[in-house]
Amino acid sequence: MRTIKVTVNGESHQAEVPDHRTLLDFLRQDLELMGTKSGCETGDCGACTVLLNGKAVNSCLVLAAEADGKEVLTVEGLAYPNRELHPLQEAFVEHGAIQCGYCTSGMLLSAKALLDEIPRPTEEEVKEALAGNLCRCTGYYSIIKAVQAAAEKMNR
Amino acid sequence: MKKAYVTVGKSVTRLDARDKVRGVATYIVDMKFSGMLHGKVLYSKFPHARIVKIDTSRAKRLPGVKAVITGEDMPFLHGEALYDTPFLAVGKVRYMGEAVAAVAAVDEETAEEALDLIEVEYEELPAVFNPGDALKQGAPILHEKLGEYYHPPVITPVPGTNICNHTKIRKGDIEKGFKEADHIFEDTFTTQMTQHGTIEPHAAICMVTPDGKLTLWGNNDSPYRARREIAVALKIPLHRVRLVGAPYIGGNFGGKGGLKAEAIAIALAWNYRGRPIKIVNTREEEFTSTVVRHPTVITLKTGVKKDGTIVARQTTCLWDTGAYAEKGPTVSRMGGASSAGVYNIPHVSIDSYCVYTNNQISGALRGYSGPQTAWAYESQMDMIAERLGLDPVQMRLKCAYDNGSVHAGGQVLSDVTLKTCLNKVVEAMKWDKPSPLTPYRGRGVAFGERFIKTPFASSAFLKINEDGTVDLISSTSEVGQGGETTMCQIAAEELGVPLASVSKASPDTAYTPFDESTTSSRSTFHMGNAIRMAARDAKEQILQMAATQMKVPVKKLTIVDGNVQVVGKPETATPLGQVMRRRYGASGGVLGRGFYFPDGLAPEGEYFTFNCIFWMYCAQGAEVEVDPRTGKVTVLKMVAAHDVGTAINPKSCIEQIAGGVSFGIGFTFYEDLIRENGKTMNPSFLSYKMPTTMDMPPLDPYLVEPHCEQGPFGAKAVGEPSSVPTAPAIANAIANAIGVRITDLPITPDKILAALKNKT
Amino acid sequence: MVRKLRKFNYSRPGTVAEVVSLLKDYQEKASLLAGGTDLLVFMKLGGKNPKHVIDMKGITVLDHLSWTPADGLRIGCLTTLQSILRHPLIREHFPMLEQAAKALGHPQIRSRATVAGNICTASPSGDCAPSLLALDARVTVASPAGERTIPVREIFAGPFKTILAPTDVVTEIQVPALPPHSAGSYRWQPKITAVDETLVGVAAVVTLSDGGKTIKDVRIGLGSVAPTPMRAPRAEEFLRGKQITDSLFDEAAGIAAGESQPRTRAEYRREITRVLVEQALKEAVDRASRNGGNR
Ligand SMILES: Cc1cc2nc3c(=O)[nH]c(=O)nc-3n(C[C@H](O)[C@H](O)[C@H](O)COP(=O)(O)OP(=O)(O)OC[C@H]3O[C@@H](n4cnc5c(N)ncnc54)[C@H](O)[C@@H]3O)c2cc1C
Repeated sequence: MRTIKVTVNGESHQAEVPDHRTLLDFLRQDLELMGTKSGCETGDCGACTVLLNGKAVNSCLVLAAEADGKEVLTVEGLAYPNRELHPLQEAFVEHGAIQCGYCTSGMLLSAKALLDEIPRPTEEEVKEALAGNLCRCTGYYSIIKAVQAAAEKMNR
Repeated sequence: MKKAYVTVGKSVTRLDARDKVRGVATYIVDMKFSGMLHGKVLYSKFPHARIVKIDTSRAKRLPGVKAVITGEDMPFLHGEALYDTPFLAVGKVRYMGEAVAAVAAVDEETAEEALDLIEVEYEELPAVFNPGDALKQGAPILHEKLGEYYHPPVITPVPGTNICNHTKIRKGDIEKGFKEADHIFEDTFTTQMTQHGTIEPHAAICMVTPDGKLTLWGNNDSPYRARREIAVALKIPLHRVRLVGAPYIGGNFGGKGGLKAEAIAIALAWNYRGRPIKIVNTREEEFTSTVVRHPTVITLKTGVKKDGTIVARQTTCLWDTGAYAEKGPTVSRMGGASSAGVYNIPHVSIDSYCVYTNNQISGALRGYSGPQTAWAYESQMDMIAERLGLDPVQMRLKCAYDNGSVHAGGQVLSDVTLKTCLNKVVEAMKWDKPSPLTPYRGRGVAFGERFIKTPFASSAFLKINEDGTVDLISSTSEVGQGGETTMCQIAAEELGVPLASVSKASPDTAYTPFDESTTSSRSTFHMGNAIRMAARDAKEQILQMAATQMKVPVKKLTIVDGNVQVVGKPETATPLGQVMRRRYGASGGVLGRGFYFPDGLAPEGEYFTFNCIFWMYCAQGAEVEVDPRTGKVTVLKMVAAHDVGTAINPKSCIEQIAGGVSFGIGFTFYEDLIRENGKTMNPSFLSYKMPTTMDMPPLDPYLVEPHCEQGPFGAKAVGEPSSVPTAPAIANAIANAIGVRITDLPITPDKILAALKNKT
Repeated sequence: MVRKLRKFNYSRPGTVAEVVSLLKDYQEKASLLAGGTDLLVFMKLGGKNPKHVIDMKGITVLDHLSWTPADGLRIGCLTTLQSILRHPLIREHFPMLEQAAKALGHPQIRSRATVAGNICTASPSGDCAPSLLALDARVTVASPAGERTIPVREIFAGPFKTILAPTDVVTEIQVPALPPHSAGSYRWQPKITAVDETLVGVAAVVTLSDGGKTIKDVRIGLGSVAPTPMRAPRAEEFLRGKQITDSLFDEAAGIAAGESQPRTRAEYRREITRVLVEQALKEAVDRASRNGGNR
């Protein structure tokens, strides 16, 4: 067991966690932030993607202990503090880039990491940025369009 | 002329979209109860073995372990078509994904640890891994008691063999047909084992009270069907079993029916009562122990005239259904019915065999046999056209079903739109223009057909609340398809209220009325009809009340945009809520009821008839480029035209096509669950590959929207056909590009390169 | 079977000396943690079950990347693939390493995965090895016995096996600067989908002479075609000193393909090796001829 201090979605948390706890389980079990999903536990599907100090990571392959002293952003913290939805979320809604929704949180966070780094991505760059997020429902078409639309909106 | 609708036909925003982007949509994996235990499963070490002894004593002593059970503790059989499946293996194991023991403990880690302490002694039995071998004389028999299993009459197992269903269809006189033919072509096509790969795994929470009342929370696509399966298996009345659907289900595609994670949760809870027990599958369990798409071997022997007229077709279909029947018998039955293709053929003979093997269990996967049969009949169509020197599009247009054609299963068809769909595709592909394609580029088309399971019922209630808003009470599950939105659109349209005032919650067999299933692309049509009836019923009741209040004859009243008004007199508009209040004060409610069952299509009590309420039709086209040095195929474009009837929500329909095509792409090129002696070699997303963002080709989707007379607002269906014709369309394009014909899926670059080498 | 992580003790020392001393105590009971994209997967699969997990990420100085003409490229053992991607120094001097980074995993993996971890895992299909072999890279290793330098080509002992002792820590990777008129390329083909393990990975580094008409020197690294990443010495020998002709690279590629020893999908892999060796050589020569080379 160890005590970690993690800022999650702007809120700082101090928690006792077992050393072998993953960040994913920490978020879901300890903080009860259920928006981050588990799909494979081995980094292949991207459903558990969160931002760790601004970078998209598979939270199933990060130990909670490794997040000590760091900032984590999950889907629950994506909306701007004074806004209802983040432009990416708005674009996903408008473009119907959602079916079952299970991959959606991870998709949004990968897309956020992309737009933070490349505000005006090409279609190819969007595809590359989302390459680690499997979606079984949509064939990705609307998702790619939604990310591009959000980028456009945010650059306006 | 199409009627102008207010809500129907509009690409309204999905009602679940905002919750889903916020991460607040709840799935079964997110649910927990106080006192909840976690279950884990020990699986068989062998594909076929007698269980000699199981010692659970050490596991039981591990602190934190509450229950350890084996098949002996759960002496019941369940199943979807045939009651052949134990909850955990009893006496013997029939595949490596079979549960041998299960543990319930205070947390997952402890349950996993306990599994290591269970000792099982096996005596290995000879095993069989492909349906051809399983049919041979002397093959190991998986189910010695096949003849004793309970099953409905449409299923015809052959006791003493591994055949759990043999569907036999005869139309005309096949021998006569072959005699009339100028050419007879015989080709065999095979498909591989694929899996649903929903990102959300199967999961369930079950609690059984000491008195035996069972509640199951889960992501089962069809709570009523599962409830029936559980009640029949446990020999208890239906009302003692309650299924509660999680608010949202993370993908389905036919995989979340029957009892998967549910079976283990039930078995543990049945034996350890009074506490909820949760099972969440790992990804590996998804691949090894839930359900997959049938691998098939389909042989088509086809007699044709020189001009391309097809006179006779004999099909032999082998469906590798794995260790237990699941939906295999009905998949093979309906697959058999479609295996001769979508063509006018006077003489047809079909033999479709669903065969047990020691592989994982096969069932429904987006298409319910459609992708496998289309792979055969649409590939052979191009092969024949090429051998006869005919244009594959012309040959299809010449032979395809029309209204009035007689289906292989005997039904006289109506609402057939195959040619409309194909014409749309070839128009988009500019087929009539000389091919603009450079060397190594080619194009191909394929038809697709998919039945709708018939006859099955759906029912719905519409509760009008005190303020005039509406609760739609229906057991359709939101699995990602957009059912929640579509159903609310139908309710809003029929009742005359804005979409925003209709809500639909998830199914709960204690409250939401009967629905057979959220499968078979059937919900928009069946549940849609039930909802329309319920809305009409509610509307009638409301208008009766309003007629008294407004002192106007009922006939003169209607509801527009949430207001009751005299037809043609908007100034009389009275909000629904006000009508309710006037009658009931602050309380009261109205309940509309709807029940839809397609009558007259099958003899009483029979189901899965070949007389379908309708068939779904579509066509797709592909343009490809092949790299002759690496054998890699790039799909330059997919075109898909699908008859959906009236599109209740066009955007949702397009999404279904896009998703279906991505399944088709995976089926064509990538997905292949590989087994060696019954062991699954790639049970992870690392090595079982589904298309990623970087793999999807550009797509041109088209909706073909003929008004369907019996459908709600003219709607038919869309979910499954979209993955039916993709593979043969691509294979035909590859053959067109490089003159190489691949008949065994998946199409890998290795196969293409080898075939190219053999050619030169 | 993927399971929950089993119990272990986690520590995050702040210096290499501390890491070495912990390793000395724990020996094979400990595992070093860099990005964790291999280690945590192996642990969940039950392939590794360390009692102690030593996270190196507390030693922030090990996350660095620098280039000087004298020292060449130096990559700290905590430097991630994400840092390699789009890095101006990499783009300027070793674009082939950006290609390798692009081949490895997907964004979430690259933001954690380290180059050093990729080498230490010693997967036959690891995407960094072919380039590092072709670039004649070395690693610096700290251990209880002191520091030493090992050429990358000596590290691999078998599939997922290195010659490193449980107490060895790779602290840095060094890539010598290339002579003038040199450049490299990495070409790969994934196994099945676009985002996949590498079926065949080929790195080529060439030095041109004679105004770009002759191959003065060449090194070829092959990945995923043998139990370990390997060089293609016969193909290199064949090319050295040869004038560039239309058919030269195809011939060399044929020789390299002959040197490969793939097991599964063997025939196809050999075919692809041939295609990729030719592509990599061509691209390397192309780069070397441009701007006087040195990439
Ligand atoms: C989804 C997914 C996709 C992947 N795709 C690819 C791919 O396409 N190509 C590819 O090559 N790899 C791939 N990998 C594997 C992995 O990401 C890489 O090998 C990565 O570079 C490992 O680095 P790491 O920092 O994460 O290593 P870790 O997991 O932290 O460590 C790996 C091993 O090396 C040891 N180690 C780490 N650093 C040191 C050191 N400095 N000194 C001594 N020992 C050390 C560790 O103890 C451990 O045994 C993939 C992995 C996943 C999960």
